[in-house]
This record gives sequence, C-alpha cells and structure tokens, in this order.
Amino acid sequence: MRFSRRKFLRTSSAALIGLSLKSERQIQGSFVNEAAATGHLLRDRKSFPPPKQTAKVPVVIVGGGIAGLSAAWRLRKQGLRDFVLLEMNAQAGGNARSGENEITAYPWAAHYVPVPGRQAIYVRELFEDLGVLKGGHWEERYLVFAPQERLFLYGRWQDGIEPAVGLTQADKEQFQRLEESFAKYRATGAFTVPLEVGYSRKFAELDRLSFADWLKSQGFNSQLLNWYMNYACRDDYGALTQDTSAWAGIHYFSSREAEEKGPITWPEGNGWITKRLLERVGENVRTDQMVHRIVTTSHGARVFAGDIEYQTEFVIFAAPTFLAPYVIDDFRPLKDFVYSPWLTANLTLEQIPDSRGADPAWDTVFLDSPTLGYVDATHQSLQTHVDRTVWTFYWALVDGTPAQNRQSLLENSWDYWKEAILRDLEKVHKDIRRCVSRIDIMRMGHAMIRPTPGAIFSEQRDRLKRRDGRILFANSDLSAISIFEEAQFHGVEAAQGVLHRLRGTR
Amino acid sequence: MGILLFLTVLLVAACGLIYELIAGTIASYLIGDSVFQFSTVIGTYMFAMGLGSALSRYLNRGLIQRFIWIELMLGVVGGFSSALLMLAFAFTQGFQLVLYVLVVVTGILVGLEIPLLMRIVQDRYTFRDAVAHVLTFDYLGALGASLLFPILLVPHLGLVRSALFFGLVNAGVALWSTYLFAPQLMEKRSLRAACFVVLSLLCVGIAKAKLITITAEDNIYADEIIFARDTKYQHIVLTRFKDDLRLFLNSHLQFSSRDEYRYHETLIHPGLAAIPVPRTVLVLGGGDGLAVREILKYPQVEKITLVDLDPEMTKLFSTQTMLTELNQRAFESPRLHVINADAFPWIDQSSENFDFIVIDFPDPTNYALGKLYTTAFYRAVARHLGAQGFMVVQSTSPMFARDSFWCIAETLHQAGLRTFPYHVYVPSFGEWGFVLAGSHDYIPPKSIPAGLRFLNQEGIPLLFQFPPDMARLPMPANQLNTQVLVRTYENDWKDISH
Repeated sequence: MRFSRRKFLRTSSAALIGLSLKSERQIQGSFVNEAAATGHLLRDRKSFPPPKQTAKVPVVIVGGGIAGLSAAWRLRKQGLRDFVLLEMNAQAGGNARSGENEITAYPWAAHYVPVPGRQAIYVRELFEDLGVLKGGHWEERYLVFAPQERLFLYGRWQDGIEPAVGLTQADKEQFQRLEESFAKYRATGAFTVPLEVGYSRKFAELDRLSFADWLKSQGFNSQLLNWYMNYACRDDYGALTQDTSAWAGIHYFSSREAEEKGPITWPEGNGWITKRLLERVGENVRTDQMVHRIVTTSHGARVFAGDIEYQTEFVIFAAPTFLAPYVIDDFRPLKDFVYSPWLTANLTLEQIPDSRGADPAWDTVFLDSPTLGYVDATHQSLQTHVDRTVWTFYWALVDGTPAQNRQSLLENSWDYWKEAILRDLEKVHKDIRRCVSRIDIMRMGHAMIRPTPGAIFSEQRDRLKRRDGRILFANSDLSAISIFEEAQFHGVEAAQGVLHRLRGTR
Repeated sequence: MGILLFLTVLLVAACGLIYELIAGTIASYLIGDSVFQFSTVIGTYMFAMGLGSALSRYLNRGLIQRFIWIELMLGVVGGFSSALLMLAFAFTQGFQLVLYVLVVVTGILVGLEIPLLMRIVQDRYTFRDAVAHVLTFDYLGALGASLLFPILLVPHLGLVRSALFFGLVNAGVALWSTYLFAPQLMEKRSLRAACFVVLSLLCVGIAKAKLITITAEDNIYADEIIFARDTKYQHIVLTRFKDDLRLFLNSHLQFSSRDEYRYHETLIHPGLAAIPVPRTVLVLGGGDGLAVREILKYPQVEKITLVDLDPEMTKLFSTQTMLTELNQRAFESPRLHVINADAFPWIDQSSENFDFIVIDFPDPTNYALGKLYTTAFYRAVARHLGAQGFMVVQSTSPMFARDSFWCIAETLHQAGLRTFPYHVYVPSFGEWGFVLAGSHDYIPPKSIPAGLRFLNQEGIPLLFQFPPDMARLPMPANQLNTQVLVRTYENDWKDISH
C-alpha cells in the first residue's frame, strides 16, 4: 500500500465533500522526434566513417515520407521487390508520422487528405487499395465526422473557418467577388491537384507576384477576407500571403471542386496511410539510416548510409530536396527552395476542456491567434462516450524570416513553448491547465516547402522534375506545395520512371 | 446519576446533529446542488450554535428548568422541522427563509444545551472532568446520529418521521430530566404536563406523517424521486407515483411502468416471432432488462447478449427490488450475458452472428448518440445478422418527430437493408415508431408467445400501417460526416414545443 497518509486524507476528505480536486495539474512532456542534431551533421559537412560493407540493390529510395513510401508502394505493386528504402529517423512517415498513447492515436503533422478529384488518379488508386474508396463510394468512417470545423471570434463560435459573422456589406461583397474570381480560375483547368496535370505557363505571371499583392491589386482590402487568406496560406504553406506566390494562393482555392464532401481523416491523421503503406512495403524499409553521400557513376550510383555502401542502378531521392547539395556530389546549389518552420504539439487531456457550450468539433481555430488551432484526435472515434482526449496543436512560424524562426525553435525551451501554447488555448478554454497532463512538442525547422513568388515556375524545378538522370527526385517540394497528393504523385512518377528504364534497359 | 447524566448529553447531541442533517438533506433533495446546501446549512447551524452558547451566559437562575424548556422547544421545532420544510416548499415561495430561520432557531437551542449541561454538572465534577465527559458524550452522540441517519432513519423512517422521532427523544429527555433532577426542581407537575403535551403532539405527528409527506410531495413533483445518480455516463432518475415507476436518462423519459409493456412487446415480438428458429439475440442499449424480459419468453433462444454502456444501469436493474419485479428478474437468467461496452466499437470487434438484433438507444439528441443512427453503424450491425435474421431499431416518434423517424428508416435502407417501419401508441410517450430491417421479406408471425398484455397475432399487421399524418417523408440518410439526424431531431421537437 503505497498510499501516503496525507494523500489519503486529501482524497478521502475530498470524497466526503463530494468535490474533486481542482488544482492545476503537473504538466509532463518534452521535445520529441528531434531531427535537427542528425541533420546538422550534414549541414556542417562532418566526416563520416568509411563503409564496412557493400550491398548491391537495383533501386535505393532515400527518405521514408509519403513520397518515398509511395514510390515503394508502386515498385512492389509492379512486381519489383528488390530495393531498399532508407529513412534517417527512427520512424518512417515524414510529415505523415503519428503517435499513440493509452487514449488514442494522434497525428504529428499532416492530418487529412481532401476527397481526391478525378484527376488525382494515383490517390484514388491508393485509396481503392486501402479500402477508403469502395465501388465509387468513400468509406463513411474515414470521412470527417460532423461537426467539422469551428472558429472562435468576437467571443463566440461559428461553424466553419471562413468568417461568417461580423461581416459588413463590403466584406460580404468582397468574399463573393473573390469566390467568383476563384471559380473563373477553376474553370480554366490550369489549377489542379496534382499540380502537374494542369501545369501551364498561361498563368505564369501570377507566380511573379505575391498573393498579398494580387489581393491588393484586385481591390480586396477586407480585413476578415485577408485574415482568411492568411489563415489558408499559413495552414497549407506555412507562410503569410505576402510570402506566398499569387499562383499558389489561387491554387489553394481553385484546384478543388467546391461541392466536395470530406475531407478524409483518421484519429492519427495521415499516419494511418503511413501504417497501411508500411504494411505493404515495410520489409524494404530501413530506419535510422541517414544517407550521407551519393555519388553517381557511369551506370548507377553509390549510396552511403551508416556503415553500408549501396551500389545501385537508380536512386529515388524522396527526401526534402534541400538536402541534395549536402549529400549528392557535384549538386548545384538550390535557390528556389524555401522551407517553413513549424511546431506541432500533442496535448493529453484528462478531461474535456470547457468550450463555452459549443459542440465538440474536429478542427478548432481562433481568429485572434498566431497559431493554426488544434485538431481533436478522438473526434473520429466511434465511441459515444469520450472522457479523455488528445489535441494536436499546429503552429506555423510565419512572422519574420524562416531562418529567424528556426533559430527561435532551437533556442527556446520546452517550457517556453508549453506556456505559449497554453496561453493561446486559455483565451477560449479557461480550464485548459486543469485538463492537460502532458504536452509533447515536435520542432521542425524545415517542415514544408514554401511556394514563394517564382517557386512554381522555376527552371530548377522543371529540370529536377524531368527525372532523366540516375537520381530521380520525388519530394513534394518539386511542386513547391507540400501536400499529400503532390508527394504521392512524385513518388509514384519516380517509381514509374525507374521501372520503365530498368525494364527498358534489361 | 453520573452515567444517566452523560446519556442525556449523548441523546441531546444526537438530536442536534439529526436536525442539521435533515435540513441539509431536504434542502439538497428539493433544491439540488448538495454541496452548496450542505455547506450553507452546516455553516449557519454552527454559527447559530455559537449564538446559543454566547446567550447561555444570560441564563442565571433555574438552569435545570430552563434546560427542560429548551428540550421541549427543540422537540417541537426540530421534530416538526422536516414536515414544515416540505410543506413550506410545496405551498410557499419562502422555502429558503423558512429553512434558515429554522436552522438558526434549532442551532441556538442546541447551542444552549451543552453550556447549560456543563454548568449543571459543575458542582459534581472538576472543570477538567466536566469538559472531558460532556464533550466525549457529545461527540459520541454525534457519531451515532451520523451513522443512524443514512443507514436506518432515511431508508426506514423517511425524513418526516425521523425528525419527529428525534423530537420525541428531546421531549423524552425533558420528561426524564424532571425525574433525574427532581430534588432541585420546583413545579415538577406543570413541567411534566408540558412534556406530555409535547410528546402527544409529536405522536400525532408520527401518526399523520404519511399524510404530511403525501400532501407535500403531491405538490412538489408529479412523482416522487426514488433514485437519482450521476454515473460516469449519464444522469439516472427513477420516479414513482403510486404504481407508476418511471425511468429518466439525462431527463428524457425511458419508460413508465404503467404502459412500458406496450412499448417492449411491440419492440420485440413482431420481429422475433417472425424468425423461424431464433437461437441468439443481441440487445444494444436496453440496460433496463425490459426487452430481455420479452425475449426470454422464447424457449428456443439459447443466448441473449446485452450490450449497455453503463454498468450502474445494469446493476440497478438487476438489484433494485421494484425494478427486478418489473423486468421479472431478467438479469438472473443464465441465458443472458451482460457486457458493459460502447456499442459501436464493440460490434466492430465482435465475431458473433445473431438471429435477432434489438437496437434500443436513447433518441439522437446529440452528436455522440447520433453516431449510433448512421449508415456506418447499421452496416456494421448488419454484418452480424444471420441470414434469416432481423434487426429492430427504436426510431423515435413518427408523429412528433416525423422527419427523424423517416430519416432513420432511410438510413437503414441506404445501409443496404430492406425496411419495415411500424408504430404503436404508448400513452406516456405518444405514438412511437420502430423499424424492422433485414435482407429478406417480412412475413408477420404465425404465432406469438402466450400471455402478452397488448399484442395479439391479428394486431401485428396493423402496426405497419401509417395514417397520412405519419406517412413516409423523403429524407436523406444520416451519415457520420453529415449527422443530419441530430439537427432534424432538434427541429422536430422544437416545432412541437412551440
């Protein structure tokens, strides 16, 4: 009986009065999935020990995020089993990683996929494979449950994230006009997911100015409208409209059908897709394997990872492309690749915080906040009774330059970020400190590619997308848009390229 | 003499605590918010006791006589406190005023007792011993009272009679004191006469206690609340008025014992009797065991699995006498297996098949319950339905919530099932609806169990006829990602209440 007298007295007297203890909880937690230290070995060009063994394998995939896993999925589906996928972290998945505790599984980054349109054929094929799309119908339990999104503004809640209350007549007219404008761009067919399908120089001039400048030039000065555009850019690109290409800003709203239902999601977000892909390709995956050097040869490449040298015919480089100059010999420096720093946090909640009477929703956003809000991991649970949950909190650091924000991520302590998160949530959920028992924080210096002006129609990208060398690039940053569909598209395309050339040359 | 004196202290202390507990209990029982009621009642009472102790210094002569009068006053005020509070709540607007006046008066009188007793015994004992003895018996009395109150008094005597009973104790102490302190007392005869008057008054009170309670409670609630508990999952309230027992979950009526047979016979027999050889039955929800009672009328049924979220609910209906009488001890059947689990995840992981499945959940009043009325849920359930089987779904009222009823029917239809909606009149509910669903045609049963109170075989086909005011409406199916039913249901009932 390890039950101290004091504790006994406290609990028993509390039970007697029928009150639960309402003191602040001790909040546990730490930084998790830290990758900066290993990554910086590459940046600082540290020397690595020479290989102890060599292995011959026709294909090496570098990077186990969605692009790499999708390449592996395609290779195996086409009957090629002889390849390895090298992942530098302990866990594959990249931005589609997830965690799990005794309450629920939860995402570490990407947490949904919009219902794919007809043009996203690879996504639809994958979803048919995974039982998400069956006989033309989307599996109901994977579509986000209602109620979906809520926005807290002016001391009250509204459904959906696009501001709908407190709008002046001028605001309403601007929202209307902007929607009409997006509809026109949508109708051109040039803005598609994946981006490659509709990719056309016809609108290249939009890529030369920022989304903020475009909005201003079109007379959109409504504050709420600009908040919403900024929110969208922060959410999908980790950037403000002023740092986003107008083409990319328009793409966000013009690439998808307006009447789609969804999105598709799971408690662990896109981590669910990672798990399903790993069930299919897991035996080819090697984790904790940081590739530190790649040398192209006359008929292949040598890939150095840990103490192994892989001699291969083709490399699918699915890791973020910014690593290429540090890893690949004689690789020209990149200039159109800017990455946004993020942090995500998973908050373990021992009781459901007070939400000022609102129904629980999947995605919660505060108008008055620099953060992106949070997603409730148990929202997609089939249980009718949920008394504990996990919230995944998202924060794209957009004010200041990415370098400054990376510095801030590295320098500030877990305690600093924990307080910042709680203060943000406290604005709406007054009792949050009494509910939360654990906050784990993941810092990502290069979380996602940022579609800065000029990034979409970049010569450098066009060259990398040709995939004609021994090293075929596959990361979503080739599209300059960091979304699941782009990563999967480039992964599958790279695999197709390799298969074509392997089978063509043999 | 010593021990008798201290016995007096013990009894007096017990009475004092009982009146305090009664005031606190009645206040929480009638107004709710027990923490607040108990805190303020106890605080006020203690404060009044302090006042009494302070006032005791102004009593100088005839201490014993005064003590006897105080006991008599306490006997009347405390003894009738319960009845007075009930009647005040039932017939006046000033319950709280009466409550606190009563608490203050009782508190002052009780506060006077111990200082007086100490002074009465001070000639016989040293100060040190007097304090020690008096306080020891004071606290012992309090302990006795606090244990008696919840274990014996409230369950067996009720609040009104408990108070009167302790009024008798106070008056008894008064009478006894006239003998105990006889040598120091003058005018014994008139004191004793007063004691008999108070005692007989209290006896009349006890004789009429039932009448007082009924008169008060008739005015307090339509029904008497006999059980109320906040479980982890819901607020369970059981009320009784004469022979009518009613269950409320989160303030929604679940059944009335007067007409629940109409509901449960109609829920079970049209479907179950139509299945050739039903061996296994699943009941989702229905922790009251009333559906199970009907299913147990089929000797061919070998196994009934009851899945209900709340263990307190199944425990209540398997232990409380009035309730086990109602479900005819269904929970004691060896054919019944009770599982306390959340239905949707449970059905997902189950590998069993069932010939008949009963889905008897509370109405879809929120998004959490709404999940149990979706195409996704019905598809998951249908996977466990035997080839010849049927499932039946409690589907709210086709009269008051017509849109909701037909939305549920459409949801079952879009889950790939053939549907056979029907309805029944349950006086306490109004018109109520069910949907039978399965993969084949429904043919009404050739025979049904004997001894039903409502259903007969000829009546079953009639249940499936809907008059125009309840006829089918085109509704969308309810899905996890739309939850149209929750909003529909809210609107349906909003229309009724306006």
